[in-house]
Amino acid sequence: MAWRAWSEIVGMERADLALRLLAVGLLFQPVGNRWMRPLAMLIAAVLLLSENARRSAWTWGALALFATVRIVLVWPTSDNHAFLLAYWCLAAAIASLAADRDRVLAWNGRALVAGAFVFATLWKAVLSPDFLDGRFFAVSLVGDPRFESFALLATGMERDDFLDLRDLVREHTDGVFVPWDDMPAPPPRLFAVARALTVATIGIEAAVAVTFVAPLAAGFAWIRDVLLLAFCAGTYALAPVAGFGWLLLSMGLAQLDPRRRALRTAYLAVFALVLVETRWPIFASLVAWLGS
Amino acid sequence: MTTGRVRAPEASLSTLPALLLVAVASAQIVLARTEHLSPWSGGGFGMFSTADSPARRHLHAWALRPGMRSELDVPPELEMLARRALALPSTARLRPLAQALGRIEREEGDPNEAPVEAIVLQVFGVTYDPATLAPSGELLRSIEVPVEDE
Repeated sequence: MAWRAWSEIVGMERADLALRLLAVGLLFQPVGNRWMRPLAMLIAAVLLLSENARRSAWTWGALALFATVRIVLVWPTSDNHAFLLAYWCLAAAIASLAADRDRVLAWNGRALVAGAFVFATLWKAVLSPDFLDGRFFAVSLVGDPRFESFALLATGMERDDFLDLRDLVREHTDGVFVPWDDMPAPPPRLFAVARALTVATIGIEAAVAVTFVAPLAAGFAWIRDVLLLAFCAGTYALAPVAGFGWLLLSMGLAQLDPRRRALRTAYLAVFALVLVETRWPIFASLVAWLGS
Repeated sequence: MTTGRVRAPEASLSTLPALLLVAVASAQIVLARTEHLSPWSGGGFGMFSTADSPARRHLHAWALRPGMRSELDVPPELEMLARRALALPSTARLRPLAQALGRIEREEGDPNEAPVEAIVLQVFGVTYDPATLAPSGELLRSIEVPVEDE
């Protein structure tokens, strides 16, 4: 029975499956503030349960409007995720009006993933003053609590030394920093880990950008799916922002060649993996296990 | 793009989401360069590209009275205004925060002190030393807003 249900899911029309994944993502991680969240969940539940709702430009238009209002109300503090959600819902609304919904959604899925990764790569490789030299990851590994477990595991630092270093990078200074007595020194391994993460991040993001922009022949289009899946499977183990990963997977699935059943299964598996990775902190568990 | 060629009558409408993405992300780059918008904010996909996130920026608010200057805390009800000003420290974002602080200072400040004449806001970004990770503050914007009598 489970196998039959799985076969039905994998056999769905790709546009429908992509939009169902988006609805599931919104249910697991509803967007908006306290009063917006129940409304977002309600719309997501309706979209998941009703095919008519998924085919209606009104439903997607309402969700696109909702996502846009959310951005405008708190401008400019919204995450990239909020913008991408608005674009994707707008794409779904426009696709619902088109003669060939599947084709329009596929085009937008690919274009939006391409756009997001082109600009992400541009920021990291060209515009940012502190990414390529590894400073961003060195500072974030220490200063961002979301990376703490991974950083302790990868650098081998003692927790007390680590927290001293965190105090340093979180210091607010007006002007040039005046060195403290006994200032904590970052260990060389922290910089080695930061450099490795920098190279891996810029490599995979640039590769996704290039393959989604490039007009690959049908026989090679799978490369972009494999890269996007690798990005989502790896990134969200470290950065617990599942909503962004699910959006990317929904877009990726919408543009996937419908004949590639194995990759479709892989998209669903990575969607589930992102849920597990972001709900169950792998690195924190490893640190606790090693420490016990 | 080879994924599904969109027919001409539908083409202009169906490319709208992608065009919006490019327009917003391009505007974000311009704002980051001209108004110190944090690369993390504004829909330009610059998150996780720099340590200069709004959370690492800080601001100081000062009340100016004749002959004296005192630092103010930003009260919880103005937290959202402050967050927006840290992400985009433009005059348009800082002025409402300064005016709100001035109003509060006028209404709830010490009645024995001289009336507040102006509010000064300073927003600092941060850069890190590549060898020691020591943070230095960089003044992004400073404005002085007169407090008007109501």
